[in-house]
Amino acid sequence: MRRSALDLGVGIFVLIGILALGWLSVKLGRVEFLGGQGYQVTADFPSVGGLKAGSAVEIAGVEVGRVEAITLADYQARVLIRIRSDVKLQEDSIASIKTKGLIGEKYVRINPGGSDRVIPPNGRIREVEAPVDFEELLSKYIFGKV
Amino acid sequence: MIHPRRLSLILAGLAALCLTPAAWAGAPTDQLKAHIDQVIKMLEEPVLKVDGKVKERRVAVRKVADNFFDFAETARRSLARHWQGRTDKEREEFVKLFADLLERSYISRIELYGGEKIQYAGERSDGDVATVFTKIITKQGQEVPVDYRMLRRGDHWLVYDISIEGVSLISNYRTQFNKIIQTSSYGELVKKLKTKQEEFLFEEETKTKGSAEK
Repeated sequence: MRRSALDLGVGIFVLIGILALGWLSVKLGRVEFLGGQGYQVTADFPSVGGLKAGSAVEIAGVEVGRVEAITLADYQARVLIRIRSDVKLQEDSIASIKTKGLIGEKYVRINPGGSDRVIPPNGRIREVEAPVDFEELLSKYIFGKV
Repeated sequence: MIHPRRLSLILAGLAALCLTPAAWAGAPTDQLKAHIDQVIKMLEEPVLKVDGKVKERRVAVRKVADNFFDFAETARRSLARHWQGRTDKEREEFVKLFADLLERSYISRIELYGGEKIQYAGERSDGDVATVFTKIITKQGQEVPVDYRMLRRGDHWLVYDISIEGVSLISNYRTQFNKIIQTSSYGELVKKLKTKQEEFLFEEETKTKGSAEK
């Protein structure tokens, strides 16, 4: 009798452990169930240079969405972004790919515009800025002067 | 044998084809190239190259720029959210100050032009907006990518944004204007732009006077 009570205790303990692990992986992996909230917009960049699915989308340093996927369309990078539903993007908003610090991770910064038209769900951010390629700039200054 | 009347009809048709502005539409690169060539020609003009003619040359370049640059659109987009709360009079004043600012920072830079080559590397259009990709090739052989964002206004394509090395002009000014308005006020921004313009005109004046005395 005492043996089975011990087994039960261990079983519950293991179960709690597995649940905790599950919660941790969801939290750390930023998995969203049921497709997530908010609406999707796309933006075509000449290059995304290091941006990944899951990267943050920020306005004034505040996270307002995430990059969901990056695909190739007409030899440009098409970035699929999910934006929080309470955030409206004006039609002339500018999306740029920036780096946190000098060598930090890449994120999308949106510079809000002043147009009275907003980008509808599944719409497109037309004004984009490609990331500045530091290596390319550097090589220009190193090899450029002949 | 072609009948002379028929020949004149054909010629008239050809002439009409060349002159109709409709033939221009859908060709942002062609229009941009024509304007840029015009500016380069002006800069290479020996009559205007003399030191004392700085002002005349700037006025001439500005005149061409007015033809293919949509200053109002650029100003509106640069002011972004703060454009909404402005009255028509304020907007008009701001567009003028902003055009002066661009003239100060860019047209004076263009005057340093010394035979750099410009390459047209294709365009991408999407409805009424188009991007024309160009490359400026310096004498040292460095390539500087310059992209022009253009808007269609009837038969004309007007530039409203320029990206140099991927950095957009509007994005740059939008961030700066926003910072000034947030930390002080719109009035402060206008005051700043006005003082800068006055300083610039004053400097220009003393410079031309100096070279005249020489």
